[in-house]
Amino acid sequence: MPSRRRTLLKVIILGDSGVGKTSLMNQYVNKKFSNQYKATIGADFLTKEVQFEDRLFTLQIWDTAGQERFQSLGVAFYRGADCCVLVYDVNSMKSFDNLNNWREEFLIQASPSDPENFPFVLIGNKVDVDGGNSRVVSEKKAKAWCASKGNIPYFETSAKEGTNVEEAFQCIAKNALKSGEEEELYLPDTIDVGTSNQQRSTGCEC
Amino acid sequence: MATSDSSSSPSSSSSGTEFADPNPSTDPETNSERVQSQLESMNLSQPSEVSDGSTRTDYSGGDDQDEVASANGNEGGVINGGLVHEVVAGASGGEEIDASLRAENPVEMEAGEEPPSPTSSGYDGERGSSGGATSTYKADDASEDEIREANVDGDTASQHEAAWLPGKRHVDEDDASISWRKRKKHFFILSNSGKPIYSRYGDEHKLAGFSATLQAIISFVENGGDRVNLVKAGKHQVVFLVKGPIYLVCISCTDETYEYLRGQLDLLYGQMILILTKSIDRCFEKNAKFDMTPLLGGTEAVFSSLVHSFSWNPATFLHAYTCLPLPYALRQATGTVLQEICASGVLFSLLLCKHKVVSLAGAQKASLHPDDLLLLSNFVMSSESFRTSESFSPICLPRYNSQAFLHAYVHFFDDDTYVILLTTRSDAFHHLKDCRIRLEAVLLKSNILSVVQRSIAEGGMRVEDLPIDRRRRSSTTDQGQDTVGPEVSVGTGGPFGIWHFMYRSIYLDQYISSELSPPVTSHRQQKSLFRAYQKLYASMHDKGLGPHKTQYRRDENYTLLCWVTPDFELYAAFDPLADKAMAIKTCNQVCQRVKDVENEVFLQGASPFSW
Repeated sequence: MPSRRRTLLKVIILGDSGVGKTSLMNQYVNKKFSNQYKATIGADFLTKEVQFEDRLFTLQIWDTAGQERFQSLGVAFYRGADCCVLVYDVNSMKSFDNLNNWREEFLIQASPSDPENFPFVLIGNKVDVDGGNSRVVSEKKAKAWCASKGNIPYFETSAKEGTNVEEAFQCIAKNALKSGEEEELYLPDTIDVGTSNQQRSTGCEC
Repeated sequence: MATSDSSSSPSSSSSGTEFADPNPSTDPETNSERVQSQLESMNLSQPSEVSDGSTRTDYSGGDDQDEVASANGNEGGVINGGLVHEVVAGASGGEEIDASLRAENPVEMEAGEEPPSPTSSGYDGERGSSGGATSTYKADDASEDEIREANVDGDTASQHEAAWLPGKRHVDEDDASISWRKRKKHFFILSNSGKPIYSRYGDEHKLAGFSATLQAIISFVENGGDRVNLVKAGKHQVVFLVKGPIYLVCISCTDETYEYLRGQLDLLYGQMILILTKSIDRCFEKNAKFDMTPLLGGTEAVFSSLVHSFSWNPATFLHAYTCLPLPYALRQATGTVLQEICASGVLFSLLLCKHKVVSLAGAQKASLHPDDLLLLSNFVMSSESFRTSESFSPICLPRYNSQAFLHAYVHFFDDDTYVILLTTRSDAFHHLKDCRIRLEAVLLKSNILSVVQRSIAEGGMRVEDLPIDRRRRSSTTDQGQDTVGPEVSVGTGGPFGIWHFMYRSIYLDQYISSELSPPVTSHRQQKSLFRAYQKLYASMHDKGLGPHKTQYRRDENYTLLCWVTPDFELYAAFDPLADKAMAIKTCNQVCQRVKDVENEVFLQGASPFSW
């Protein structure tokens, strides 16, 4: 093979509507922020190349819509995810309370092979708002939740100011990569003369 | 279907052995013009239809006739689109997005319009690493594209086929590149989790967002218990094929039929199975995030060569194979050795010259599907490493057994001629090598390899060589009908303006195609002729319209004749001004000529080859 193997990682971003999923992604990929709120419809797709320990890989980021009416898209969107990012707004208790629902819904719909160890990352966004005065979810509370779910890594970010965004995504990439590491050998069957005729009769398509 | 002139039965006087005027009473041209204008008016209503029906589905039965028919009505090969992306992006969000897109970009689907600005909806596919360039498509862009396409294809006779080199093109492009968007035909393979596996143009990783969009569309429709087969957007057709966990998509504005594009996706899938077997399905069952690309490492040339063959190799739509013309005795002698090899426990033994068969044999009861043969020869021909030494490689024949590997021994005797020995035993290398040595001895002794080389140099049947001389033309034709056709066509093609023909023997699963000769010489002209044939083929085999036996069709480029009998199918292209009666007569003569030389152009009495 001419070039080094590249890995593609599928990352799903979930959370209530308006917590800043799209803004986080835009800050990370495009280094841009807009104060104007535009609801995501269905899902947005972005890609970003990342270098990690001298390996190059591509993040395929699925920025989903937070509105409930899009929840039916779940199965189609979550299948084969390498990492799931849960986002809440530190100024909204409801968005924090809903994290359990998002996490459970994801595990049901994506049905990963090892749900206990599936890599999640939690992001508490909008820490910049009102200088932190309108904050209702404490860091302690968030960390306690993370600990109860199998030590999910936690980041507090401001998509507006770009605080901690890069770090959060570095961690996301690292965790997604870890989960994709163990791959088995590809060993298909070879035809053995005894069974070939029998299989052929079912495999024939004409 | 735009069948201008077809009949379900041959003319009353003939019993199928003579090709008679299929429809002597009506004027095909007026008829076809009427159909044409009908189709064009249908096209006008397409854009809006697509924008609110982006998740619209077609069932593979007869329901998509309209779609296909209107595809046929699209005239002209110039694209100025690049809009497919927007169309596609709009689809995945379901009805809500459709509404918003309609409001913001009411004429979005019109080819040549400016695409919606990247900020106009939460759904544009242009942001991300690809930079968010807003690209405007103008009419003059199209002509630039034409020029570039011409350079790529090679517009001179000497360049066709030989000048084409396998391998991936334009790897630096992604879905934000104007050049990428203007490519006439894209092929994508992706997993059902949206991870890219193959893209004809551009870098798979840079297209990860686009790939995700395609998956979202397919999965969204699947979620509703439905299936998306075709989306039409202006001149673009987006054809989907779902094979378990593998999704295949073709986006094309080449005006090919839906059936053939779908057939191309089928072959593309088959090529992948040939390399990996259907065991890949199990990998996805075990691990939905399975990334297939590493397993296909180094096979890009195989896929690009297959895609290229869609525009020049009739086997891709005739589902038949072709033989190198050879003296009967030599082919028989080769066949005997190959048969002996099979008797020693080899499943299939084939001697091929490029994509043509010199001879082949199979073990008792084992039969090889022409599609498998196509994919196998494409794989061997396009993989450089087979040429350097004798090789032993696992290979799967998708039509024979898609679940498991066979083992292929491959050896090139010269640049073009090679032997493939297929076995079920993984320890058979030395035995196969001995078989090859035995075969080589026979080939050398009877000088077959140099005869093969001479046959390549001489080429196959030519329309110019059809045994209809000028004396006969002027003396025996009746009613002076030859005064128009032949005079016009002097100097180009064969008698009475015949330019090309293909004859497919149904029982043998083989076809013979005449060599390209003026005026059809460049790759571009060849492609255009083949696309005309493909449409003809599709319309003759359309299940919804019942079986047809003859078809006569004339447009500004060709006069096309097709004749289907239980024994053979004949496709012939004439000068557009060719005389109908003379054309029919010529077709009869072509059939006679093929019968005269059938022992040289077909492999006779091979091991049972039909199913």
